[in-house]
Amino acid sequence: MPEQSQKTRPVTPRPSGGGDGPSAPKVDKPNVDELLKRMRKVDPEQAKRYRQRTGQ
Amino acid sequence: MNPHLIQFGLETEFGITRDTSEEIDVVAESIALVRSATQPGVRMRWDYESEDPHLDMRGFRVRELRQDSDESGYSEQDAEREMSFVEIKSDLVLGNGARFYNDHAHPEYCTPECQSISDLVAHDRAGERIVMGCGKHLSESGGSKVLLYKNNTDFLGHSYGCHENYLLPRSLPWESLVRGIQSFLVTRQIFAGAGKFAVESEDHFVSAGFQIAQRSDFFSELQSVDTMQHRPLINTRDEPHANPKMFRRFHVILGDANMSPFATRLKVGTTALVLEALLQSPNHHYPRIADPLGSLKAISRDSNFEWPVRLENGAGSTAVSIQRTYLEAVKQECDLTDFEKRSLVEDWETILDDLECDYLRCQNRLDWVAKLVLIRGFQSSQNLADDDPWLRSVDLEYHRLDPDEGIYYGLEQSGAMTGVPEESTICAAITDPPRTRAYIRGKCIQKFASAIVSAQWDHITLQGTGGPIRISLMDLFAPDSVLRYAKAIDDACSPDDLKDLTTARI
Repeated sequence: MPEQSQKTRPVTPRPSGGGDGPSAPKVDKPNVDELLKRMRKVDPEQAKRYRQRTGQ
Repeated sequence: MNPHLIQFGLETEFGITRDTSEEIDVVAESIALVRSATQPGVRMRWDYESEDPHLDMRGFRVRELRQDSDESGYSEQDAEREMSFVEIKSDLVLGNGARFYNDHAHPEYCTPECQSISDLVAHDRAGERIVMGCGKHLSESGGSKVLLYKNNTDFLGHSYGCHENYLLPRSLPWESLVRGIQSFLVTRQIFAGAGKFAVESEDHFVSAGFQIAQRSDFFSELQSVDTMQHRPLINTRDEPHANPKMFRRFHVILGDANMSPFATRLKVGTTALVLEALLQSPNHHYPRIADPLGSLKAISRDSNFEWPVRLENGAGSTAVSIQRTYLEAVKQECDLTDFEKRSLVEDWETILDDLECDYLRCQNRLDWVAKLVLIRGFQSSQNLADDDPWLRSVDLEYHRLDPDEGIYYGLEQSGAMTGVPEESTICAAITDPPRTRAYIRGKCIQKFASAIVSAQWDHITLQGTGGPIRISLMDLFAPDSVLRYAKAIDDACSPDDLKDLTTARI
């Protein structure tokens, strides 16, 4: 699946989750570039095509 | 019997489709997937005659279970299948004690019964591997690529479950269990939710938007035996799969399927600890939420991640505060000398602290936070609006069972997630049963597969020279009894050598 071109619609700012609490613990940062590449490969229509029957 | 015995297991229904624009028959695909398994096991020998999902914990039997209204559209297609009930189910009981079958329209993997949370996490992961292996085989056998998802929705209101089972002594009255655990179940989604970029209702997509849990949109009753429509917070099915005079099985249907093993561990482990606290002190007072069903949805959809809750007494509280009440009760009531339980309690407390301070701290442990951070980053990089359907597609692919393309697996491969079991532990769980009564089921299958006449959670029947030999597992929970039975199987040259086991009947 080819990578999708960038779109130009506005993005809602995300909550930062910040505050005055203690500093964040050390969290290993994922290889964002590799993951972004994987996400860009996802067909934007994949969820539209995905049909399941109700389970339990 | 150990008065505080609790064993647990997971039953996960997977989403299934193919990489094609053509419409597919998910039931046929699910059947084919289960049948493509190559693990040693026993096929189509599940004993359905001893099952009865109509019995209710409240002391009555319902006439019928409610079916989803959209399902009527498939009745003609289903009626045309030239297969028996057993063939459609295609049950496979595996040598690791698990059950793998087609549950109506989804491949379902049921872990064996576990008594250790690390065993359960390993067996849940083993299930993913087995299902993935089947997907690979089925893809190779022809047609387009099989795509499998460990999630709970198609974003159109068709949900499928990841049910938890907790076997516990029946001495805990049902009313005490329900009263005590309800607020815990409503609020535990703050760490157990898998996250979803959609709002749904039964059989409908409602709107775009992020919420922390996949399943919370689908619950509309407080208690019932149903699982497919008008789902209840508390499922009342009375089917213990054990001695009904001694045990009950608490069947939890509102949880999400977790990709993060840390989240799976916390979800099942804390629930088991709360049940243990209830066993110790059935009348302990816990906060009562004024509107449990409304709060379930409101907590999931709270975009501020503060999760305010109104209590029955009119006071305001939060999901984190309610969880802390349960945490303190567990510290007070449970025997925490066991390292695994102590470690679980520490992790539970740390997660609550982190969620309260800055939820982003939890991105290396909780599915909903990991997914939110990843997809918001992707959204920003692509300049996508909040209602762009691409977000739902990436959400879906977070749950994809494919090490090369699945988004969660990519995250895990990057080393970003903690609590992932060792590879050797997962591989062992694919073949080896845990040391519960599943050990006996698994050993019988490993050694005498061709002689198995039928299998169930609470018994296994083998063909002997003088007729069938039924070994009851209804009360087989004491570790020394399990080991004694296991030794007998090790020593046996044929099923006939098992006739003298205490619970064997010819």
